Amino acid sequence: MFYTKFKKWIAMAELALALVFTPILIAQTKKMIQVKGSDTMVNLVQILAEEYMTKNPKAAPIAVLGGGSGTGITALINGTCDIANHSRDITAKEINQAWERGIKPRTFAIAVDGLSIIVNEKNPLNQMTMDQVGAIYRGDVKNWQVVGGPKMAISLYGRQSNSGTYSFLQEHVLKNKNFSPDVKEMNGNAQIIEGVMADQAAIGYVGVGYVIDKTTGKPMKGLKVINISKDEKSQGYSPMDKEAVDTGKYPIARALWQSTNGKPGAAAAAFLQFELGPEGQKIVEREGFYPIGAKYIEANTKNLK
Amino acid sequence: MKIGKAKKLALFAALALMTASGLFAQTTTPPPQTFSTTIYFDYSFWATNNGYITNTDPKVNANPMTNKFAFRRAYFTYENKISPGLKFRFRIDADNTGRLTATSGTKDDRLVPFVKHIYLDWTGLLPNSSLKIGMTETMAFKIAEDRWGLRSVAKTLVDGYKDLTGADIRTSSADLGVNLTGAISKELRYGAMVMNGEGYSHPELNKYKKYGGYLQVVPTAGLNIWGYAEYEKLSDKPEAAKMYKVDVYFDMVPGLNISGEWFTYDSDTKFNKITNADGTTTNSHFNIGGFSVFSTYKIIPDKLLVFARYDGYRPDSTNGNKDLSLIIAGADWTPIHSSWKIQPNVWFYNYKDSAKKSDIIVNLTFFLTF
Repeated sequence: MFYTKFKKWIAMAELALALVFTPILIAQTKKMIQVKGSDTMVNLVQILAEEYMTKNPKAAPIAVLGGGSGTGITALINGTCDIANHSRDITAKEINQAWERGIKPRTFAIAVDGLSIIVNEKNPLNQMTMDQVGAIYRGDVKNWQVVGGPKMAISLYGRQSNSGTYSFLQEHVLKNKNFSPDVKEMNGNAQIIEGVMADQAAIGYVGVGYVIDKTTGKPMKGLKVINISKDEKSQGYSPMDKEAVDTGKYPIARALWQSTNGKPGAAAAAFLQFELGPEGQKIVEREGFYPIGAKYIEANTKNLK
Repeated sequence: MKIGKAKKLALFAALALMTASGLFAQTTTPPPQTFSTTIYFDYSFWATNNGYITNTDPKVNANPMTNKFAFRRAYFTYENKISPGLKFRFRIDADNTGRLTATSGTKDDRLVPFVKHIYLDWTGLLPNSSLKIGMTETMAFKIAEDRWGLRSVAKTLVDGYKDLTGADIRTSSADLGVNLTGAISKELRYGAMVMNGEGYSHPELNKYKKYGGYLQVVPTAGLNIWGYAEYEKLSDKPEAAKMYKVDVYFDMVPGLNISGEWFTYDSDTKFNKITNADGTTTNSHFNIGGFSVFSTYKIIPDKLLVFARYDGYRPDSTNGNKDLSLIIAGADWTPIHSSWKIQPNVWFYNYKDSAKKSDIIVNLTFFLTF
């Protein structure tokens, strides 16, 4: 009687269960570490992943995608990646969203970056203050002459708002004010470099790992890296000066972060340990970024446990 | 000393300018702007033909529908980030005016565009808060809709049954007023709203305002408990519309969400209308209530999600024979890019009234956003 009355429903329920569980079983056979986020970090983490997989052929494969720090953090909150790359801190709003979604981010500093302000090599300017860079990117200063450069309209190159580098610059250099609408929004660091090389009036901002020619250890041909000072009275420092970055004399240095949901699983933890260990940090340095110092090592070790 | 009218006006103008300059001081250049569109449409097939939806009573429906293509929603949104703490939104919504029961269209059943949102969103008033002023989302629907996340497949419990049952809940997805939401800590959030109460489709019709508010407690990561209440006085007599809602969301297993929603709505006889089968309306005092349990599971992140939902709905507390239940099951598949999704889904309606047999509707929903 019961079965006769509900057989249609039972058949439908069986079909629904089959539809649900078959793909789950298929999906569970594939274990891949998904890494998503910062474009500044994407090349570095891809190289770290490749070397890790070469050295550990039996380890879980790793897929590394860019998209920007905001995209990576959102993916972590939505449970669509295992590790988020981000070149800025997680905001209070994102921490609240994560908590609501059952995500407890644990962060690991994997490298240090000197955020580099670059111009075309033909630009005679060598140094600027933080305020001058902020005024240029807000659109308050529109000609190089105002900051001691040639009489030439400034051509702005930057990133989209989901970029951690965009947010970092907005917070620390633009003092939380808007970027000029004249900024040409590029898809990544490499595109900014191409733009600045081809445009004599250009200014751009990229991670230090992108400006160094790995064969010479100097800035890439066609680019000039500007020394940055905290204010008019301070000395300017280059982001390529390791000591200045380490000691905080270079005013726009930052850590490059990875975050996991809670304690990383065995596969993700093994990869993180490789990145944070001597082999990984050597790669970090080779790629033009700086290895993490003692203050980060302690926090990283604690978060891995 | 009496201040002249011209002086008063000048003072007001100066104050307004000072306020505006304070708000807009952060921007020296035109702000970033975005345009976006979201559209969903589907092909529906009625696997049964004898239930509530496709009523076989020839007086009501002489030519029951068995399948159709339908555009259900098209949103066009313009957003303008005036400064890091101030945003403006303008959204137009085009809604399908044709009802599921319609057997022949009226003279003009085209999608009708209307203004859904016009508001300023200011995040600088209190720490971790957002103050929206204008025609903005209400909290009655948004809490569950955000978590269900499949508006293209189905509306949520409080919003979803008016057309089907004729029982009118005096609440809307958007309304004109002021809306404040925020977080005191990651464990405790709040929301409060004062609005006209007429929704987005009517201007204010009386002197009374609707008040709504919620408290959200997140005692541990992934466990969300919301209590929501709204109140609107309807006349000088002690007549009021009240709604109470509790939502519980469980997000503690990676990829899996299990949620529950319960509500009860009560309003005075004069304003409590139910639409009869012949289109006339009857006023009587009754409560409307129901519960919904739904779950989503991400099988392949960003690619494939499956979902299931069960609703129990009581459109008239004085007549249990009108009760109905709905089961929805389906998948949300992103084959190529997140701008395009295919959402096959099946709806099973079951009615308490033994004279009505169950309805099964199979939908293939297409979701586009760009």
